[in-house]
Amino acid sequence: MSRKGIRLLAVLAAMSLLITVPAAAQAKKKIITISGSTSVYPLEIKLASKWIKTKKGKKFGFKILQGGSNVGISDVSKGRVSIGASSRDPANGDPGGLVFTRIARDAICMITNNSNPLGNITQDTIKKIFLGPTFTSWSQVPGSPISGSIDPVGRAATSGTHDAFRNIFLGGTNQGSFVAAKSSNGLVQQTVQSDPRGIGYVSLAFTNGVNVVSYNGVACTLRNASSFQYGGVRSFYFVTRGAPVGGVKKFINWITHSNKANKIIATDWVPLH
Amino acid sequence: MSNRFGLQKAGPRNRSDRRAELLLGALACVVLALIAGMIIFVFEKAWPSFSHNGFDWFSPFAGGNVDDELVHIFESPSNPAQYVYEMHAWPLIYATILITATAVIISTVFAVLSAMFIVEFAPEGIRRLLEPVVRLLAAVPSVIYGLIGILVVVKFFGDHLITQSARDSVAGVAALNGFSWGVGALILTVMITPIMIAIVVDALRAVPIGWREGSVSLGVNRWRAMWTVSVRAARPAIVAAAVLATARALGEAIMLSMVTGSVGFKPQPIDGLIFFVEPARPLAATIVDNAEGLSVVPFAQTLYAYAAVLLVSAAFLSFGGWYIRRRLRAYTLSPI
Repeated sequence: MSRKGIRLLAVLAAMSLLITVPAAAQAKKKIITISGSTSVYPLEIKLASKWIKTKKGKKFGFKILQGGSNVGISDVSKGRVSIGASSRDPANGDPGGLVFTRIARDAICMITNNSNPLGNITQDTIKKIFLGPTFTSWSQVPGSPISGSIDPVGRAATSGTHDAFRNIFLGGTNQGSFVAAKSSNGLVQQTVQSDPRGIGYVSLAFTNGVNVVSYNGVACTLRNASSFQYGGVRSFYFVTRGAPVGGVKKFINWITHSNKANKIIATDWVPLH
Repeated sequence: MSNRFGLQKAGPRNRSDRRAELLLGALACVVLALIAGMIIFVFEKAWPSFSHNGFDWFSPFAGGNVDDELVHIFESPSNPAQYVYEMHAWPLIYATILITATAVIISTVFAVLSAMFIVEFAPEGIRRLLEPVVRLLAAVPSVIYGLIGILVVVKFFGDHLITQSARDSVAGVAALNGFSWGVGALILTVMITPIMIAIVVDALRAVPIGWREGSVSLGVNRWRAMWTVSVRAARPAIVAAAVLATARALGEAIMLSMVTGSVGFKPQPIDGLIFFVEPARPLAATIVDNAEGLSVVPFAQTLYAYAAVLLVSAAFLSFGGWYIRRRLRAYTLSPI
């Protein structure tokens, strides 16, 4: 056999090993599938990779997909995944028989451009900017260092962040249709970063390069959110069809009860206790 | 029976020819079946949205705010009898037409002139540089144009071209921060011009050199020979290029979703110069922005209705282009 042929065989053998070994290992494990919110995704990845190293979690494997809160809820209701991840509260239009288990909390911050270092904004002012609008100029906003028109930036109606903003900051009313409806946290951040007159709302993890405004006198920080002083906090949920059972139940129990899980959540989010 | 080249098609058949013929025929049929399946699928999904709204779906005079309607549809109760379907999509259709038409008209002019330059006037060195660059530009993915749009063009428009008084005049109605249909149309022009140039260059090259030489020998200068003979003869190809470019422009979603402002606003020509920097959102961008809501049944049906409109427009474009090309061929001695 030529040298080339031998080398080819070696490569093939190595590849078949790579393919078969994990498959064989996985065959014994039960796979928990998760799909849903892009906001919850980084958290669930961290939690799952830690859990499968624990005694109970050893027998399980994970397959985690994204897609958005509504995708997760629809997937789990149709039995396509074991857990749907949601960054919004249960809604009227949700399919019946779903159980929402809260796993963590997340802060939503109001942001403005760095050239507009607004210190504080009240819920009343936010309503006057994002509903109506009653306020269309920065000179109408108490404490604003700049003047000129206000460019409100928000999220599309389908996003979990839009839902949370409506329920927490706007008292249940939808933002006006004049608010730019961006399709991701990153786009809101980018728009406010480049527009001196912009104001928007994003998840705490997306506040680099912009001015973070205090809400009702409390700064939007992880510490204030954990101590429940900060008002703009929403919940992350794991959604199951019926009460969680088997591996899913063990996983969710571990998240809500173990100290290790708490520590992981506390890196960027707000633990439940 | 003869084909275009005047060659005899029928003849003694050999077996491998026959086999290739069957295989290729089967492949072509699969493509046809796929397209038919896709159209049926989209229309079946989209039907409730059209049937609930009737002509108001398309009507410029139906009123209502398209973003509010989207929110209401998204928040429909889960009981199928109470699904909300009200959708007056004219602002989105208007934005699609406005952006696409502007981009295609500008880029047609650009493409024909630059193709003439490349074929007839450019020095050899420049031509050899230009052609590969044009082909490379035609292949750049749209998301890259979107990023450049957000980071450079939108920012430039917002910082330097829009005055504070212009902003204040529409405060509370539309945010003039650079995200606008004008920027979308501008970048779209840059995206589709290279495709058109590439097609028109090939067409101008295909014009028999004798035709142009004939007119030059009659004393006409190079520019007139090019314009009256080559460009005239290449008209069917220019139409074909414009149709292809329009199809790409119609379906462009990511870039437009990033730079056009994400508001279902209807830019008003009556506003004067501000008109060009007013926000808008075309159909394809709306589908991309709201794809997360596909799990809500009536909302998904509304998005499929947008898709159906785009699909039908693309089909009409193709047929229209084919018809115009045929008419043009009847009037010109065309090599193409």
